Amino acid sequence: MMHNLPPKPKRSTFKTVRNILIGVILAGIYIWTFMGIDIDFAKAVDRMTNNYARIIPKLLDPDWSALSDVWAAMVETIYIAFAGSLMAAILAIPLGFLAAQNMTNNRVLTTIGKWILSAIRAFPDIILAILFIVVVGPKPFAGVLAIAIGSTGMLGKLYSEVLESIDTNVVEAMEANGANKLQILVHGILPQITPEFLSYAIYRFEIDVRASTILGIVGAGGIGTLIVFAKMNRNWEEMGLILLMIIVVVTVIDLISTQIRKRLV
Amino acid sequence: MIEFKNVSLTYPNGTKGLKNVNLTINEGEFVVIVGLSGAGKSTLIRSINKLVTATEGELLVDNENILTHKGKRLRSLRTKVGMIFQNYNLVKRSNVFKNVLAGRLGHTGTLRSLFNLFSKEDRSLAYESLKRVNIEEKIYNRADELSGGQQQRVSIARVLTQKPKYILADEPVASLDPPTSHQVMTYLRKINQEDNITTVVNLHFIDMAMEYADRIIGMRAGEVVFDGPASEVSEKTFEEIYGRTIREGDLRGGTEA
Repeated sequence: MMHNLPPKPKRSTFKTVRNILIGVILAGIYIWTFMGIDIDFAKAVDRMTNNYARIIPKLLDPDWSALSDVWAAMVETIYIAFAGSLMAAILAIPLGFLAAQNMTNNRVLTTIGKWILSAIRAFPDIILAILFIVVVGPKPFAGVLAIAIGSTGMLGKLYSEVLESIDTNVVEAMEANGANKLQILVHGILPQITPEFLSYAIYRFEIDVRASTILGIVGAGGIGTLIVFAKMNRNWEEMGLILLMIIVVVTVIDLISTQIRKRLV
Repeated sequence: MIEFKNVSLTYPNGTKGLKNVNLTINEGEFVVIVGLSGAGKSTLIRSINKLVTATEGELLVDNENILTHKGKRLRSLRTKVGMIFQNYNLVKRSNVFKNVLAGRLGHTGTLRSLFNLFSKEDRSLAYESLKRVNIEEKIYNRADELSGGQQQRVSIARVLTQKPKYILADEPVASLDPPTSHQVMTYLRKINQEDNITTVVNLHFIDMAMEYADRIIGMRAGEVVFDGPASEVSEKTFEEIYGRTIREGDLRGGTEA
């Protein structure tokens, strides 16, 4: 049977040369970095076999007597994440509007809004936590503020993108029937954006639970504090329980949040 | 009464939307504007409620020159001029009732409307409007659950709830199939006759224009090239307006289902 195949695509020599060049450059960068970081593989393997053989079995044998302490710290972690995300979900609204081109209709304002949001996003959560510990002391509240500010950067950007993608025909229709700006906002824009805003806020809460587990490492409260203590005391059984707790709680929260978000939009 | 006096409109990019238009649209008329796409039909209709602003001449609605209207006066003009769009422009996530009540926004105080405190009269008016276009059973459905024809009927109900003196319809049937198109045009015509609302409709289907209009205005390249009663119009007239022979695509065909 005759197969009438389509003609082979034309390959330009330029593209072939370009792709080979990209491959060579990438490989070069890899080799250069590995030379730069100077890994002593023999020593690494040695340490691994020595320490990990000692520690991993202990991690896998959690110390259940510490359960109530670990649970209390986990609850504190969730509180920090929740308070922080809630603050962020609210703080991000005005910034989101400011950074949305179609809301301000003003290039300067939008640019300022986008800059503020990028500047906030540039700080890792842990740096923010250190900054706030300086301001309010080594308390969970420092963690809350770190989460709040860190999340505002991301939520503000996502909010502004939601706003920029709304159906402007609806806005036009309401303008055409004599509604004023505030009425258009409440009756034309809010119904379009609320589900997405909520969905992103919940998603960010999910991320914040994970982020707040490490805040304690710098002293900003939550389960990270226990991680630091367990490591200092080489109490690997308790560390095992802490890690197990984090894995279970984060997974459960992820599952719940996915379910809620599915129903929202 | 809507009067265009030497109205021209030049868009910021230099495109001439309207060229020296002179027109008078009388109370209670059902006017259909025809022309090819890009002929200026939309620009003409949208200049009446100032969604676009004419750059020269005078445009009088009820003897007021609207070209200088801003803020409150512009909103009050728009409250009495209702508009229907090709893509219905409903809030898809809100239910039908909320969408129809939005027609009252121009008549409702800001504070009341922010908290959804529409008066009993408004709510009953919204319900009556839905009944007039026979879609009251969908009142609590979300707008995105409705078909195109149903959404367009909801948008007609929204305009009715606005209690306008004029209705502008910008290609109201361009996204619909032939039977639904006839249904929508029949409702518009019925409302025009029963409530004596002056209605201006953009269409590019010549058979529909001839069937529903009192008066037909033909446009080409931003100019009014024909203006006369529908009874005087023949295919020849359309060939003159379009500047070419009539094709299959210029006809909607079909009848109301």
